[in-house]
Amino acid sequence: MFVIGCIVIPGFELRAALRERPGLLLRPAALAPAPGAEPLLGPVTAVAEEKGVRPGMRMGEALATCPALVLVEQDPAAAEREWEGILRRLEDNGFAVEPAGPGCVLFETLGVERLYGGVEPALKRALAAVGSVWDPRAGAAERRFAALAAASVARAGQVTIVSDRGTDEFLAPLPLDLLPLEPGMQEELQELGVRRLGELAELPGPAVAERLGREGHDAWGLAHGGKRRRVRGRRPPSEIVEALEFPEAVGNEFTLRRALAVLLERALGRPERAGRFVRKLALSARLVGGGSWRRTLTLREPAAELDRLRVALTPRLTELPAPVFELRLELVELTEEAGRQLELVRPAGGELQGRLKEGLRQVRASTGGGAVCTVVEVAPWSRIPESRALFVPRDE
Amino acid sequence: MSEVLERGAPGGVRTAGRVNAPRRALVDPAFDGTPRRVNRQPVALVREEWRVVDRWWTEEPVSRRYFDVVLEGGQNEVVYRDEEGGGWFTQRGA
Repeated sequence: MFVIGCIVIPGFELRAALRERPGLLLRPAALAPAPGAEPLLGPVTAVAEEKGVRPGMRMGEALATCPALVLVEQDPAAAEREWEGILRRLEDNGFAVEPAGPGCVLFETLGVERLYGGVEPALKRALAAVGSVWDPRAGAAERRFAALAAASVARAGQVTIVSDRGTDEFLAPLPLDLLPLEPGMQEELQELGVRRLGELAELPGPAVAERLGREGHDAWGLAHGGKRRRVRGRRPPSEIVEALEFPEAVGNEFTLRRALAVLLERALGRPERAGRFVRKLALSARLVGGGSWRRTLTLREPAAELDRLRVALTPRLTELPAPVFELRLELVELTEEAGRQLELVRPAGGELQGRLKEGLRQVRASTGGGAVCTVVEVAPWSRIPESRALFVPRDE
Repeated sequence: MSEVLERGAPGGVRTAGRVNAPRRALVDPAFDGTPRRVNRQPVALVREEWRVVDRWWTEEPVSRRYFDVVLEGGQNEVVYRDEEGGGWFTQRGA
């Protein structure tokens, strides 16, 4: 029988946002809600929890409870980057990982048990690969939900292994908030006097389905340990990343569009792409004021034409909440195949464009990288001459 | 173009540079503040003079006194005195 391992990092997004300011982990701090979202707190530090602040609390209530509370701005790009680093370290150690959201990852131990000498040593190896700075916890069971529950109750740096026979007994005293249920349904269950997984599991399945619907019935199934499903290891994402830093924050949409076009051109020109098509992209930015922004986009069908990708990505730029210091483009997933006939006749101007590119390649070959730039107008109306336009380096 | 920095070729982060960035100049001013010599060349004519005061609401305010001059060698130059940080600069595109 296969064993499923699970690693959980509580408050991962807050920890990722605090990587640059670790001192705040020792102070009452909480992850601020995203701009425009409901003003509910994200994860909180242990010190904040001691002072009565809870994740999901209203911001006003939290600040009234603990006036010294520090609100940490969300940093989704840093969280994604750190999470990707953790997944890669696990993969480097031989674990075929299936991420279940930031701060939670599943894997099967079968392939590495003989390598590390059993389930427990394999989990300890996984904890070491994640790194003790993240306070990761590991759990293992024959079913996914039981493994997740085991990891959630383990202490930092510890491993909890649950046998399949002991699953019901292990799950019974655990709180309901381990279940992926809407807060309203959690409250409804609590009002009905159901506070533990064991209490939910004892109820008759059809009655739960009738009262709480499909979601409730699924939760009832999980309270019994959940279904046996294998873990499917992810395909590691590609490493084609291009970024552009601006000397000062840029909020002008026209400039951002030009910068995006340059990034796309450079990313598509990277030799690692090897003619493959882009299936999924991510656009992220470092914002003025220290935060970050990130959007991922899966294309309806894979593409490698600059114009199509530009048309798909440009509308995302209007969602930027603040001026940016850096714009970053990642080709997250590429297709396997490289050969597809897309255009029979080159569009008008294509030949001239090709010659121009060839000429620029020649200049680059003789003068080195960074010698060919495009001038992009940033603020042509500015009274300060050096603020009107930028040189943007281009490789293609 | 010398301001365009590159890191981590062929991919990685690159920095966009400013067009028409100011360059330090050696200016010998007259008693009224107008330039008499620019980069050791005597000024033949001050064609125009103007001020740019901007970004006073930020931590990096801009206050400049610009001069469009013709040097004795026939060259045109635009120079300014930075009244915030001090010093003289030449600048194209002004």
